[in-house]
Amino acid sequence: MTDHSARTDWSPGRHAAPRRRGDGGSPPTRRWPRRAVVAGLAGAGTAAVAGAAIRLRPTGEVAGAPTARRAERPVDGAGFADRDESFARSSGTRMSAVSVEPTLEHPTPSAAAAATEVTAPTLLDPADPVLHLLRRTTYGPTPELAAEVRALGIDAWLEAQLDPLSLPDPAGDLVAGAFPLAWADPATVRRSIERTTWEAMSQCSVATMARQMWSSRQLYEVMVELWADHLHVPTPGGVSWDTAPDYQATVIRAHALGRFADMLVASARHPAMLRWLNGAESRKEAVNENYGRELLELHTVGVASGYTEEDVRDSARILTGRTVVGDDGPGEPGTFRYDPAMHWVGPVRVLGFEHDNATPEGGLEVGDAYLRHLAGHEATARRIARKVAVRFVSDDPPASLVDRLAATYLDNDTAITPVLWTLFRSSEFWAAVGQKVRRPRENIAAAVRALGIVPERDVSATLRRLSDATHRSGHQAMRWPAPDGYPDVHAAWRSVGVTVELWNVHRALVGGWDEGLTTPDPLRLVEGEPAGTVGELVDALCRRLCFQTFRPDHRDALVAVLGGDPDAPAPTSRTADLLEVTALVLDSPYFALR
Amino acid sequence: MTATPAATPCHRCHDPDGSGGGLDPRGRSRRRLLVGAGAAGLALGTGLGRARVSFAAQPGGGTLVVLFLRGGMDGLSALVPVGDPHLAAARPDIAVPASAALPLDRTWGLHPALSSLHQLWRDGRCAAVPAVSTPDISRSHFQAQDCLERGGSATGATSGWLNRALESAGPGTPLQALTVGKSTVRSLVGERPTTSLRALDALSLRIGDEARRGRAVEALRALHEGVDHPLAADARTAVDAMGAAQLAAAVAPEPGADYPDDDLGTQLRDVARLVKADVGLRVACIDVGGWDTHVGQGTVDGGTMADRLGMLDRALDAFVADLGPAGDAVTVVVMTEFGRRVEQNASRGTDHGHGATVLLVGGGLAGGRVHGTWHGLAPEVLDDGDVPGWNDYRDVLAEVVTMRLGVPAGSLGDVFPGHRPQPLGVTA
Repeated sequence: MTDHSARTDWSPGRHAAPRRRGDGGSPPTRRWPRRAVVAGLAGAGTAAVAGAAIRLRPTGEVAGAPTARRAERPVDGAGFADRDESFARSSGTRMSAVSVEPTLEHPTPSAAAAATEVTAPTLLDPADPVLHLLRRTTYGPTPELAAEVRALGIDAWLEAQLDPLSLPDPAGDLVAGAFPLAWADPATVRRSIERTTWEAMSQCSVATMARQMWSSRQLYEVMVELWADHLHVPTPGGVSWDTAPDYQATVIRAHALGRFADMLVASARHPAMLRWLNGAESRKEAVNENYGRELLELHTVGVASGYTEEDVRDSARILTGRTVVGDDGPGEPGTFRYDPAMHWVGPVRVLGFEHDNATPEGGLEVGDAYLRHLAGHEATARRIARKVAVRFVSDDPPASLVDRLAATYLDNDTAITPVLWTLFRSSEFWAAVGQKVRRPRENIAAAVRALGIVPERDVSATLRRLSDATHRSGHQAMRWPAPDGYPDVHAAWRSVGVTVELWNVHRALVGGWDEGLTTPDPLRLVEGEPAGTVGELVDALCRRLCFQTFRPDHRDALVAVLGGDPDAPAPTSRTADLLEVTALVLDSPYFALR
Repeated sequence: MTATPAATPCHRCHDPDGSGGGLDPRGRSRRRLLVGAGAAGLALGTGLGRARVSFAAQPGGGTLVVLFLRGGMDGLSALVPVGDPHLAAARPDIAVPASAALPLDRTWGLHPALSSLHQLWRDGRCAAVPAVSTPDISRSHFQAQDCLERGGSATGATSGWLNRALESAGPGTPLQALTVGKSTVRSLVGERPTTSLRALDALSLRIGDEARRGRAVEALRALHEGVDHPLAADARTAVDAMGAAQLAAAVAPEPGADYPDDDLGTQLRDVARLVKADVGLRVACIDVGGWDTHVGQGTVDGGTMADRLGMLDRALDAFVADLGPAGDAVTVVVMTEFGRRVEQNASRGTDHGHGATVLLVGGGLAGGRVHGTWHGLAPEVLDDGDVPGWNDYRDVLAEVVTMRLGVPAGSLGDVFPGHRPQPLGVTA
């Protein structure tokens, strides 16, 4: 359950006309010469594999690794890299393993799409790679987006998505504009709302959800979410009422397509992270191990790297001195401050990083060097590679792909965009049609997008209600209460209650139950399609919302709701049964998969 | 409030599949057939998934409730070794003084915030085990929770221990195993379908017109037939469980049951409804966050620990009162991933330790006693400054699932691979 014990008031706060931040929520300028790297990587490592379709091995092995002594290794011997891998392996069935044709790596994404045969069983029609691409790189395909990708071509569309500032984003700016504190700096937040209230954090969460639903920079938003879960600070939640919006802006959004090393260093100099994991109060006389441990376990190398409890202690010592300016100063309250007097001095050694750490004043630099060492560590590369593969490919992704993603990450000094190019040029990506399940908020966002719903008035209040629906489903943006971020594998999301919750959300969206949102008309959605008979109408709705028709027995189930005779005349107005059938299309497993 | 890790995970739970009732839970020879027939049988029947014969009346029957205190509950503050001079020395600012503790025996006392449990203790309906762990449990929240929920052993099992216990216990109804939370707890993940609900009323389709709702439910069932995917299995379970959930949602709490208006109170009220509705609930899991007390743990007079324990005490008190005689067939296990360090830290909190304290509440217990091995807190006894794991989690849990779920002795090796349980005598 969500921990409401730590929750402060949902106070509306004093809306003291806060200053807008200039670049609120926008991606940073590109820092990495994309074309050059694409060219440089093309062909490299395209080691053709001889033979017919290969069975790809999942990463890692669940083996009986010898049990380490607790005091020496904080890893339990089952050898799961992290929580998501543990969940993904829980059922004993490998629904996510994929088979592909011999060559795994291709010169371009479109070439990879053309060369890859989809053989893994799925309900989804694997014929159109564009739909697969959109299910994975956006919060839900729409007919307009599919047409856009077809017009531009897969490669050019991805190029544009990976250069988000090149994309105008009027819709995203419009919805996010209703939340002026969403990405505000600490001083603005502190001027604008009552202490310790959640208004700014809530605005950040709701505005993030809004951008996911309506921004043109879809792949950027997908990556923002991945990193927000990886370097997770609960928003809303925890103790970062004044600093969490700035954390999202200057750490996550600023570096989402940059270098991981830069993002990590920024996170370790940010008051939101330092407060959340007790770094702010960790000092030489009383070193708090929390941040030092989570930095290793969650943010970088992971338990599988085999660090020791002594490593954890040194990790925590290195980070002492990084603190936050309190209400009484010195300096601007709620900002980062390095206090040499708090820094633990003495030699440190963690996973190949060694330093004399001889002076209090030098501690901040030692820490940054340590963070960059961890960011560039092979174990970190593997964890990030796996995380990307879990997000875009399957819950238990092929080792062949994780290896190549990790190598790309290391070859490019932790730059993220090259990793994504390697991903999209892989057969593993294109072979994985239907191997992921939409998480609750992704399901709701995809329904909003498929139905063409937009907020039409009271944008702030309307979107907060929509965000509440994601909360009832356990997936409000950035609200996960623990430091490990939301899970990204279906086994961790299985829930009968949430299944029904989503069915009800579908009915609310289709029925236009929320006054602030536009009300979709199923007949307008299928305008221009043959929909004269019940059977034709059902097929048209399935194609419009799921981009394919359903299996005959599933089609029959929908036809039954409209009377059972597929040849009978279709409804010509927005009847209750028509709305019910429309909701059922969204309830179906065809829509639930991505 | 400390901003620590696992101050509350919250996702993971869900609940069971089911079959018709009236089964001998130990009828292993019938199990395979019945599990297979389960979903179909329900579809033919009322859809309520209601057991024809109360499970509680069966040997090895009743309901097991598992409260997982996420974050590492400080056992030395809950079950206090009041007679041990090392406690006050190690915790000058935060130890529960012997004078304030509710006395249990010469060695032990309870935190004064646990006054209802103290009464239950005297009634023989509450017991405890200190210094509980397994050899493989680490000091990381995530690793320790994961290890424990898979069965406490570093090797082997990938599914959750409670899911395996259910498999061994035989067939059940769609509401056989429940996480009261938004997604399935790790310990219930596995082959056996389970249910998770944030609240009972969430399991109803919001369609006003009854005939249309009926058609929609049938369509939902058909849309997920013939689909070999966990999401389709969950959708079918949802359809099957709706009727039983509505039945249970109509059950009112007993007048004397004063549930606190917080998450745990609300969750336990729903569990009690399901028990009283007799819809075949065998296992209910609830995560309770907020126990990672690195900073400002507080004293007996107030603070995080007193607040959290008081919250726990009030909710359990209401739950026991609500169940009344039905509570004889319900056992609550209160567990956590690890205990905390004996010595307080510089922030007047405690850091991650090892041996944890388990509290047991309800029927079927050898209550009013502290069970297991205990050797005190002398520095030479401790494991690197921590309470050692003198008692094995799996011994405690095996005994409870044997009593409550009727897991046959021969199947305990499936539930806890690589371990041969030695009963501590916590059950009557």
